[in-house]
Amino acid sequence: MTLSVHLKQLGSAQRVLLLDLRFDVAPGEILTLMGASGSGKSSVLAAIAGTLHSVAEGAQALRFDGTITLNGTDLTPLPTARRGIGLLFQDPLLFAHMTVAENLLFAVPSGPRAQRLQQVEQALLDAELAGYGERDPATLSGGQRARVALMRALLAQPRALLLDEPFSKLDAALRDQFRTLVFDHIRAQNIPAVLVTHDAADIADPARLLELPAHA
Amino acid sequence: MTNLRRPAAAALLLLVALPLLAVAIQALRALFDAAAWASLAGDPQWLPALGLSLWTGLASTALAWWITAWLLAQGFVRQRLGALLSGLPVMLATPHAAFAIGLVFLISPSGWILRALSPWLTGFDWPPPWPTTQDPWGLGLIVALTLKEIPFLLWTAATQLQRDDVRQRWRAEHALAQTLGYAPQRAWWRVVWPQLAPRLFWPLLAVLAYGLTVVDMALVIGPASPPTLAVLAWQWLQDADLVVNARGAVAGGVLALAVLVTALGWRALQAVAARRARRGNGQRGWRLENAVATSVRPEPVEGPTQVLASDAPGLRPLARLRTGQARRDRERLTQPKNHTRPFTSLSIGLWLLTSVYAAVLLALAVGSVAGVWRFPALWPDALTAQAWLSVWASLDTVGTTLGLALASTALALVWCVAWLEFSPRRWDQALRPLLYLPLVLPAVLWVVGLYSVALQWRLEGQWWGLLLAHTVMVLPYVLLALSPAYLGFDPRAAQLSDSLGHSRATFLWRVKWPLLRRSLVASAAVGFAVSVTQYLPTLYIGAGRFATVTTEAVTLAAGAQRSLTSAYAGLQFLLPVLAFGLAAWIGRPRRFRVASA
Repeated sequence: MTLSVHLKQLGSAQRVLLLDLRFDVAPGEILTLMGASGSGKSSVLAAIAGTLHSVAEGAQALRFDGTITLNGTDLTPLPTARRGIGLLFQDPLLFAHMTVAENLLFAVPSGPRAQRLQQVEQALLDAELAGYGERDPATLSGGQRARVALMRALLAQPRALLLDEPFSKLDAALRDQFRTLVFDHIRAQNIPAVLVTHDAADIADPARLLELPAHA
Repeated sequence: MTNLRRPAAAALLLLVALPLLAVAIQALRALFDAAAWASLAGDPQWLPALGLSLWTGLASTALAWWITAWLLAQGFVRQRLGALLSGLPVMLATPHAAFAIGLVFLISPSGWILRALSPWLTGFDWPPPWPTTQDPWGLGLIVALTLKEIPFLLWTAATQLQRDDVRQRWRAEHALAQTLGYAPQRAWWRVVWPQLAPRLFWPLLAVLAYGLTVVDMALVIGPASPPTLAVLAWQWLQDADLVVNARGAVAGGVLALAVLVTALGWRALQAVAARRARRGNGQRGWRLENAVATSVRPEPVEGPTQVLASDAPGLRPLARLRTGQARRDRERLTQPKNHTRPFTSLSIGLWLLTSVYAAVLLALAVGSVAGVWRFPALWPDALTAQAWLSVWASLDTVGTTLGLALASTALALVWCVAWLEFSPRRWDQALRPLLYLPLVLPAVLWVVGLYSVALQWRLEGQWWGLLLAHTVMVLPYVLLALSPAYLGFDPRAAQLSDSLGHSRATFLWRVKWPLLRRSLVASAAVGFAVSVTQYLPTLYIGAGRFATVTTEAVTLAAGAQRSLTSAYAGLQFLLPVLAFGLAAWIGRPRRFRVASA
């Protein structure tokens, strides 16, 4: 289940953001993507997830030329919902009208109800949030919300995970804990992951670090 | 999905743009009639009538705008926007006509205010011959319009301020301005208001256009001879003589021009004001005799004198007096949430606004059951259910009102949701002026176009024609109400749902629409209220064959049947209020069984 990305060119009609970016991420591996603001880090994730069209409209609309394959399958013609690629944002983005458990259940693939609920319970246990299922997400602490967001992403059984600065809004102590939790889960699930960050402390594997060039 | 978006949006556009454009073109065609213009120019009444329209429309709009801005400033700075907005739905739901009718019952020579003061203060045993209701200066109309538009402007501002992203950013910017030394109030006027005001342009334009062109309210409380130009045009349109009809249509054209010119003038003034707010003069807005805080950060305000004064009460009363304002400002800055002085100017302003509405509604309620009611008596001599019994006897009037309101609201809501969901942002932005056309074109001109279209499509005097007339009026209001929340919805939620493998439909039904439930039902309530209060289109397109509570109330207001008028006006008020109540109940936030630890 290797994620292979080859972007010959990424940019808008007006300017080129990236030229010839190429990387492979093996299962259980976490590639860290760094670079200055505006270097196109997040756009790379958007290209992989298939959400590039929703970033901007009109002359600023982004597009790319290249191929993205997961385990040899070309993802580029697929819509986001069919790619099986999970996303974790800076904000946990828990749906405010659902309980914690309902947020998680929303991610669990369809199947027998009891089984799905069982998965939610297990996820709550893994996140050390047993008993929090019926809670309003707004009543959770920042760290708890981040853990629910991670569990929600994982419950959908993604075949790869993209992390868009998911640690940047947490304070130092929580950050370390949450980072460890995220990395452990990615390795346990044995899926490829790409992490975008500003902070050198977030680098998962120094051997797998890619710095995007700052462009003019 | 993405490739279906444009065709879907184009189909939606066609569905609405066709009737809108047809109506607009028919309305404009009526203006190319040289004889009609000549007949208008020869009429002695139109110029003074136009003057009255401009005076009442501009004065009420300016008053409503500034009072709204001031209330918002107080509410935002004191973090009491919630209190500011809590009574809003009822005020917003009060129809213009019902409000004017109730206000007349308060301020007329035989109204409650004079009853309360007679004869002990005024010495009147008989209602004085004062022109307090249809005063020739249009003051009553200005008061009624101002009071009625404040809640509307407050509410459209609230739809902006209640968006999480916007509120958080503006709060942060407001706080930042204070770290630069600006007093909370000044920071609002310099940083928040200049960003909010341009977003209120369309609602403001609606208010301006409404004030300049209102007919039903002016019939009830506006000047009579000459009346405002809109009323004059309406009288001409109803004339049996075709030449006079044509004169009415071009008078509507004059009003449209008046709206355009005043709107442009307003824009220019606003641009100047915005530039001044951007440049500023560096004044931080701290009202101190010495300029300590005008140039320095807030902290230095806490100089030795102030500390001494506040630490040792009674020791130096003069110093304390002098620094009172500084201390209040400082408290506001440091602990805005704990700021609970009982009599702030905000609470007094709110109390005034609320009590006028309460008095108006009470006047309608009591009026509707009043039998004989001699003049200086505060309470009717006898109460009677006669009026409500006649309302009950003509239940089909209520049925027509409800049917039209429900159908037009449903159509408008479905269309607006589909449009906001499918239309590319650029289309939406470019087409807003067309979609808002019914808001800004004078109703007297609009119904002329509507009538021609209804004739051509053989819908004149038909229920379907009425439905079309109501829907095109309801749609822009629903769109206006729904857009901020709908377009402000976090796009990452859709990406997230996609990344979890869900279809677009699942996302819409299970995430987006449930999250937007409150805005959706609130916009529906607005649409319902707009339909209930339609006067001109109902009469004109219905060809007099359909009566709604609004047409009944306005027609009755000209007569002397106080109780029946009150009953219909009360009903006209009650229907939208029920809709808003229902909307609030459906849109209430979910109660989580386990709220918190």
